[in-house]
Parts: sequence; structure tokens; C-alpha cells
Amino acid sequence: MRAVNLRHLLVITAVLLGSLGGCATPPPADDADAVADFKEANDPLEPTNRAIYAFDDALDTVILRPAAKAYRFIVPAPARAGIHNALTNFGTPVQLGNDILDGRPRRAGDTTMRFLINTTVGVLGIFDFAKNWGYPDHDADFGLTLALWGLPEGPFLYLPVFGPSDPRDAIGLAGNAVMDPFTWVGQGTTVRALDWSRMGVNALDQRERHLDDIDSTKKTALDPYATFRSLYRQHRRGQVEDLRKDKRATIPVWFPESGASDKVTYSPAVSPAY
Amino acid sequence: MPNRRNFLLLIAASLLPTAGRLVRPALAQADGHASDFVKGIGDKLVAVVNGPGSERDKRERLTQIIDSGVDVEGVARFCLGRFWRNATPEQQKRYMELFHQVLVNNITSKLGDYQGVRFTMGRAQQRDDNDVVSTVVGRPNNPPTNVDWIISAANGSPRIIDVVAEGTSLRLTQRSDYASYLSRNNNNIDALINAMRQQVAQAG
Repeated sequence: MRAVNLRHLLVITAVLLGSLGGCATPPPADDADAVADFKEANDPLEPTNRAIYAFDDALDTVILRPAAKAYRFIVPAPARAGIHNALTNFGTPVQLGNDILDGRPRRAGDTTMRFLINTTVGVLGIFDFAKNWGYPDHDADFGLTLALWGLPEGPFLYLPVFGPSDPRDAIGLAGNAVMDPFTWVGQGTTVRALDWSRMGVNALDQRERHLDDIDSTKKTALDPYATFRSLYRQHRRGQVEDLRKDKRATIPVWFPESGASDKVTYSPAVSPAY
Repeated sequence: MPNRRNFLLLIAASLLPTAGRLVRPALAQADGHASDFVKGIGDKLVAVVNGPGSERDKRERLTQIIDSGVDVEGVARFCLGRFWRNATPEQQKRYMELFHQVLVNNITSKLGDYQGVRFTMGRAQQRDDNDVVSTVVGRPNNPPTNVDWIISAANGSPRIIDVVAEGTSLRLTQRSDYASYLSRNNNNIDALINAMRQQVAQAG
């Protein structure tokens, strides 16, 4: 869950808008293959995006990656898992709000049960008991909600600090911030400090979880920027697909005739090739 | 596309009410085949990664598993996309050799990261002519990852043609990496080949 304070978001948006200068030059119209590639990449702001990528990458190399490595070194794995679970639990309002906006009652039910179980039995969300009791976690954010509502992802965007995105997910970030009660609760210094701490720990947690993946991608890719662009899009499309396909009925499993939608059905038209 | 035998089977199934029951075990068996294949490869990989032996020894055995289990040629062609057609036979040959080396290096270089790797088998499905076998891969220090193995039996025996981790396809990602590199280097296939050669040299 990437919850962001609305104020921070406004500052970053302003910075981003100020830096939107360069546009990619489309290939000549008579080169059909090149035009197809250009359209597939769907990255008209590529020069700007690459500049922001370089900026983010430098920031990451100097600050976030070493911090995440230190976090992994100092905090033992079970404690990190507990912190991750607690952060996920803090994300409940945004998750639940989006489950409802998605019109997915079973997802909303999972989120609610997870919150109730993990906040109590799981000691303020540190232990994820709900997962093993039949209430697994799922991804829900306003970017996914907009996708389900039919808003196209639009061209690729590389955001300062936030990294790979697109206009839909950028709006999604703002939407999540609006839906997050922590954006609105309290004005004091303590609240603000706690808010920033949560953001910081969240960043550490997310970065630590992807330390090995990002290192190996950077090492093996000839063009890391293009590779991250592709990875981001595929990952988001996969999440949208999971959300779209999750059409579990609200009728309980033990109720007659209700299990059908929960089961995997194999279409008889596709049959073994060997 | 279902092949002719399957098409006939389908007609038979729709004509005879009992035939519908015959089709089902056949399907289950096919899923079993793909699952068994993935489980076999997975078990072998885990045994090598977590097992004893020198680094060089392990690399050699991993290479053998890759060569017997992965449709390296098919994947290589897919990753070059439209440029495969434009490449000269000489370029194709060099690209193919380098691709194989890069793939083997990318996998064997992660030997250390994957120490202690475990996996659990999930369900098997059919998608566009291929079998998709889902697994969950767990390794120390990393959250569990959903990994789908795409298996094709188009060339007779089953072969891995793609690995999809958390919704991201390895071969699609590789293709966009190469496509972008080529478009930034005047679509010069030799530039790509040189870059790949450097990668292999650096991996040593």
C-alpha cells in the first residue's frame, strides 16, 4: 500500500509538470515496423521519462537502496514480516474503499475480516492469521479501480520519487491519498511526524522486498529503463486482470449451487495437444 | 487451435452423453503431464541449487536442465521479434549462441540468491494451446512469488516457453528490452550482438 500525503503529492506534481519538456520524436510514417514499435512502447514523453528515471535511480542508489540493505541487515526477517503486515493492516481503509468502489463484495469481505482478525488476534496487524483462515490478501488501489471502470492506462510516465506509472495510476495515487484517513486525521506535529514515519518505513519495506529483483534486473537488462517500463505495465495489467476475474458470489460456499463460480472450469474446447 | 483428433473428440463428446465423461479424465491427465513435467524440472533445479557440489559443477548441471527443459531456440526467436527476419543467417547463428549463454548466465548467476529455494505446486490450466502450471516460489529474504510456467508440446516433447512471475512474462520483458536497445541503436542487429557479447564476457 502506497499511501501518500496529499500535500506531498501536490508538490511532486508541480515538480513533474515543470519538468515536462522533451517529447519523443515519432519515426517516419513510411517505416511501418518502427511506427508499430513506437505505438507499442506508448511512451511519447520518453526523453523526459528517461531523465526522471536517471534522477530516481541516482536517488535510489545513494539513499533508498543502502537504507533498504541496512534495514535487511539490522532487522531480522520475522520482524520485517511483522512490520510489513502491520503496514498492510494500516492500509485497510484504502483497500476496503476500493473494494467497494470496485463492486467486489467478497473482496470487501476479505479485507474486513482480515482487519478484524489481524488487529485483534494478530496483535495490531503484526501477525497475518487471516491469510491461513481463508481470507487472503489482494491488491486494491484507486488506479486499479479506475482501470476496472474502463479508464485506459494512457502513455507511460516515470514519476519523480514514485517511479514507473501512467496517468491513470498517477490519478490513482492522488485518489488513494484522498481515501486514506491518515491524510485527514489531526494537524499536530506528532501526527505529522507519525505520518512521515509511516511513509518512510513503507518505502523501506517495499524497497527491501524488491532488493534482489531490482538488482538482478539492472544487471541483466541492456536497457533497464525499457525493461522496468515493460515490467511495470505487465504487473499492473496482471493485477487488473485478477480484479476483473474475481467474480466470486456473495452466497456462502456451503449454500447449495453456490460453489460453481468459485471453481476453476476447464473449457472442453481446449484439449491436450499431446 | 484444437487439432483434428481433439476436434473429433469434441464432436463425439457432444453426440454421446457418456463421452463427456471420457473427455474429462483425458483433460485431467494432460494437466497432470504438464504438472509432472514442471514438478520434475523444479525438483531437479532445487536439488542442484540447494545440493552439494562446487559452483562450476552446479553451473554445468543447471545448463543441462535448461537445455533439456527449455525451448531456448523458440524463446530466442520470440525475443528478437521482427528483427529475426531482418537478420542474416550469420547474425541469427551468433545471436542464438549468445542468447543461450546469456540465459544460462542469468540463471546460474542467481545460484547464491536462490540458496534455500522452495516451491509448491499449484493448479494447471490450458491457455491458447499451451499448458500453464502455477507454482509459488519461496526463497529466503524474499516474499513468496507466484510463478506460472508456460509449457508447449508443439515440438513433440513438453518444453518451457515462458516463465511468468507475478504477472510479468520473462520473454515479453526480454523482447521489449532488446526492441528498445535496437531502436536506440539504429536497429543495428550487430550492435545488439556486441552488447550481448559484452554481457557474456562480463559474467565471465
